[in-house]
Amino acid sequence: MTETLDIDRGELEQVTGDLLARHCDVAHLRDRLEAGGAHAPALWWRLAETGLVSALVPAEFGGAGLEPAHLPGVLHATGYHALPEPLLETAVLAVTLLAAFPDHPDADARLGGIAEGSLLATVRFGDADRHVAFAADAHLVLDVAPDGAVTAYAADQLEVVPAAGVDPLRPVAAVIPHGAGDLLGTSPDVAAHVRDLAVAGAACQLAGAARRLLDLTVEYVADRHQFGRPVGSFQAVKHKIADVAVGVDMAEAAALGAFGAEDAHDRARRAASAKAYAGQAADRANVEALQLHGGIGFTWEHHLHVWLKRTMSLTAAHGTPAAHRRTLARDLLARIGEEE
Amino acid sequence: MTMISVAEFRAEVRAWLAEHVPAEPLPSWTDQAGFDQHRTWERTLFEGGYAAVDWPEEYGGRGAGLQHTIAFAEEYYRARAPERVNMGGLYLLGPVLMQYGTEEQRRRWIPDLLSCRTIWCQGFSEPGSGSDLASLRTRAVRDGDHYVVNGQKIWTSMGGFADWIFALVRTDPDAAKERKHAGITFLCIDLRTPGVEVRPLAMVDGTEGFAEVFFTDVHVPVENVVGEVDQGWKVAMSTLGFERGAVFGDHAKFSNDVAALAGLVAVRGLAEDSLALDELGRVLVETEVYRANVYRLAALAEAGGNLDSTASINKLYWTEMQHDIFATGLRLMAEDGAVVGDLAGLAGVDAVTADAWRDWHHRYWYARAAMIFGGTSEIQRNIISERVLGLPMEPRRS
Ligand SMILES: Cc1cc2nc3c(=O)[nH]c(=O)nc-3n(C[C@H](O)[C@H](O)[C@H](O)COP(=O)(O)OP(=O)(O)OC[C@H]3O[C@@H](n4cnc5c(N)ncnc54)[C@H](O)[C@@H]3O)c2cc1C
Repeated sequence: MTETLDIDRGELEQVTGDLLARHCDVAHLRDRLEAGGAHAPALWWRLAETGLVSALVPAEFGGAGLEPAHLPGVLHATGYHALPEPLLETAVLAVTLLAAFPDHPDADARLGGIAEGSLLATVRFGDADRHVAFAADAHLVLDVAPDGAVTAYAADQLEVVPAAGVDPLRPVAAVIPHGAGDLLGTSPDVAAHVRDLAVAGAACQLAGAARRLLDLTVEYVADRHQFGRPVGSFQAVKHKIADVAVGVDMAEAAALGAFGAEDAHDRARRAASAKAYAGQAADRANVEALQLHGGIGFTWEHHLHVWLKRTMSLTAAHGTPAAHRRTLARDLLARIGEEE
Repeated sequence: MTMISVAEFRAEVRAWLAEHVPAEPLPSWTDQAGFDQHRTWERTLFEGGYAAVDWPEEYGGRGAGLQHTIAFAEEYYRARAPERVNMGGLYLLGPVLMQYGTEEQRRRWIPDLLSCRTIWCQGFSEPGSGSDLASLRTRAVRDGDHYVVNGQKIWTSMGGFADWIFALVRTDPDAAKERKHAGITFLCIDLRTPGVEVRPLAMVDGTEGFAEVFFTDVHVPVENVVGEVDQGWKVAMSTLGFERGAVFGDHAKFSNDVAALAGLVAVRGLAEDSLALDELGRVLVETEVYRANVYRLAALAEAGGNLDSTASINKLYWTEMQHDIFATGLRLMAEDGAVVGDLAGLAGVDAVTADAWRDWHHRYWYARAAMIFGGTSEIQRNIISERVLGLPMEPRRS
């Protein structure tokens, strides 16, 4: 089991990385920025064609029936390439929710639609969640209430109020439903699972985006010369980059290990830790990347800002580092209280 | 031996520890009486077959895989068993002998090392050679079937309690004119040999945790050379790789420390204080991330991957994490003017928290030292940036 997992996982990561390097390159991102919209149907079709969108869809609904544990590398790649598409939201979160209620009369149509690439979906975590990613592009919004009730809303059953998010390629919005929606069912376990997937998934994306900031910076300082030598040969520069590298590497260890972890209690703790740490590490990467690029990094023309903004957006997504730290601390205090 | 499952092994270890771990925590190993008690404990551990579960059976280990090794360490710390005192032997020399030692050397040194009949210390640093280790000057001149050693080592951890030292000595000073890393040899020396003088050095907290070691015409048999003569730099780098790399399972130690910190937060009535929660949350996150890293590296090692490039990142991370844990503790105690010493008298303090806090200062200072020994944090940053990331080298004279 673990062996095939490793093989599939490595292969999926490779396929995703190659595909995104070709079709979600800087030219594509620029194009989307100019166009003023993140999602591009042609790119989404490619993702669907490759099987990435249907990877977690159960076989009986037309998918590959893989486990979330197959996908952390894929999510990392979406951060690395700043993919402006709801892959985490549709292919992981929505699919997991829909597949949890397979007897619902619309399960087939919805999962089938996702699998073939014609249905975009996103997830809202209760009405306090004002940062629903890709809501404006979604045909379906699934709401996960604090009590575990999961409700589906079609696009025409809700109003989307865009928030002034920092990252135009990962647009966020508040979602205000008009009616009662379609209750899929209520399950605190499913809700908790999907929340953990969102948290750990965002951590994987964040680690990927931070890795890109590191790579861009390493590349730039090796190339840029001042005082007759590459600026990357100055120790003050190197040491900043080394600290960034430690953060990125450890964020990857935590995030990739947390996504798809099994044991429910451990899973929540690992996801929250990974997200909190990835946020911290990405913040460091963000600050040093711009600093070490100097003036060129501050221009709209240079593409560094794509990842500066992506890391900021993802750091805020699904719980800030500070919020996760507090939750984890409370959880630890409760645990040691129990032991006494 | 085919190994039992991890779960069975864990249960076996847990039962054994429950029966054998001393009920009262041992006194600190930093004086002779405390050290002797730790040595006795190590003997018990050895006789139980738990001195080094991951080592091959022929050398007194259990031949356990990494998952078993991690489970052992998790149980060891969970039981709050005594600190291991033969670190130089167990984590540095042992693995180096597996890699570079002869069969004869392994048979000669490893069993005593595991049972703690011999305590080993590491003689790399000299007064003039710390970060620039390859500039070392302790000389060893061949005289028949012996080397004659003259020179000095310093900051030698546990030097005052050790029986043997593995040292770097210069055997070919001419080679150094070309390249200072050449002509160095890795030599094991019995500290009872005439001409050796060990002078314990008091550390910053007053305890005698390290020492200076002086060599005056010390005769050492040539068969004590590990690896090839004049090729000791390679052996030294491998030693430092072990020193910096992951010790599989030590994340559990840090989780204990964070639990002790949580106990303190609760006792001090800070459980609703958002700053204290944030600080506690931060160090908890750091230890969870470290745990994930240990699991990742174990998986990588099991798949036959090379961990060399991970050692410096690992060292920089865990030493900073460890410092953060202990400094945070002192900060949370700041109302008492960082007087942590003995909490046992405070209302609501359980035994575990009180024990942890009794040596919090000592552990804090050790955390500061860890950012210096085994190559300073700055040296790790040099390695990460130049060798791992491939940034352009600093213009340097050799
Ligand atoms: C508690 C403790 C236990 C120890 N145990 C042992 C032991 O058992 N065996 C042993 O052999 N040694 C031991 N050491 C010694 C330790 O390895 C050295 O102290 C360490 O390598 C640093 O050398 P140094 O003290 O000479 O400092 P220096 O090398 O003089 O460094 C002084 C400062 O300059 C910085 N610096 C130096 N070179 C560079 C550079 N190229 N780039 C950037 N910054 C630089 C350092 O980072 C440091 O901040 C121990 C040290 C301590 C504190």
